[in-house]
Amino acid sequence: MKTSEHDEIRELLALAAAGALEAEEQGRVDRHVQVCPECATEAEDWEILARGLRRLPTPQPSLGVVERTRMRAEARMAEEAEYRWQRGVLIFLTVFAWVLTILSWPVVRLLSAGLIDLVYPGVTQGWVRFAAIATMIWLAGGAVALLPALNQQRERRAI
Amino acid sequence: MGDQSEVARLRRGDLNALSSLLAQYQNRLYRYLLQLVRDRANAEDLFQQTWIRVAERIQQYDPSRSFEAWLFTVARNLGYDHLRRTQPESLDQRMESNPSGTLAQRSLVAPEQGALQRLLERERATLLATALDELPVMYREVLTLRFEEEMKIHEIAVLLEVPLSTVKTRLRRGLDGLREVLSGTGLDEERGKGRVQG
Repeated sequence: MKTSEHDEIRELLALAAAGALEAEEQGRVDRHVQVCPECATEAEDWEILARGLRRLPTPQPSLGVVERTRMRAEARMAEEAEYRWQRGVLIFLTVFAWVLTILSWPVVRLLSAGLIDLVYPGVTQGWVRFAAIATMIWLAGGAVALLPALNQQRERRAI
Repeated sequence: MGDQSEVARLRRGDLNALSSLLAQYQNRLYRYLLQLVRDRANAEDLFQQTWIRVAERIQQYDPSRSFEAWLFTVARNLGYDHLRRTQPESLDQRMESNPSGTLAQRSLVAPEQGALQRLLERERATLLATALDELPVMYREVLTLRFEEEMKIHEIAVLLEVPLSTVKTRLRRGLDGLREVLSGTGLDEERGKGRVQG
């Protein structure tokens, strides 16, 4: 028996007991152990240790902890679902409002017949001005809507 | 994968799926966290945090990956954050004490064995658990995942985000360390006795 091979196999015995060797390495270990009493003893030692680790009892969380965990996780899931729904509604309303604004422009222009110029001078002279004013209004509205949402998110993180 | 349908239901917001997954993983997850932080109160707190994080981020979970690996990764990240905050030295130094003694007090239940045999088994398990507590967290963690959680080496590598060779090295060093700690304890003699009897 080659000493180098013996030493090499000896290094692998702990991992063999842990079932962490590749098939080829495991084969080498098995063959060597059959002819080397010293390594066979060592392998058995590691196996006893590994068996002891596998048999360690499983500690269990108390029922109260599991129940509290379930309730808190469910509450958080409900919050998350509500948050996703609110975000969806917000996106829908934003898109809807923009579409409505753009589509209603010709109607506003037709019906106002110059009246709108008194409120927003020059607004009816072109799409660009109209779009600029509409954007400013929407940005201001968006900022107002965003502040409570950010506050809510901060509170959620703090919990 | 067996629990993929439960996870899919959870992603759709089914609360029954949450209860089912919690029941399925509660003991294993708790055991892992307890091995990580070695304190029952902290392990319970981290257990709660883990499931709340799961509830928050289940939409971010990639269903092509193993739910088990994802769940343990969430728990591990929370556990390591906790260790960094409370005992940063524990991440790279040897732990000398067993503050709670929780693992050492774990009992071995084997109803088919006689009273004396159960007593001996319990004694061995206590010694082994105490020795395990003496190891640095990185070795204790790998030993727990391999022997108690029965994870495959490549699953551990994915969970810990390290190469396979690193997992094997930690496993080997962990076992060496364990044997070193056990030498001089009663369990070492018991191991010899077990060999003779075996």
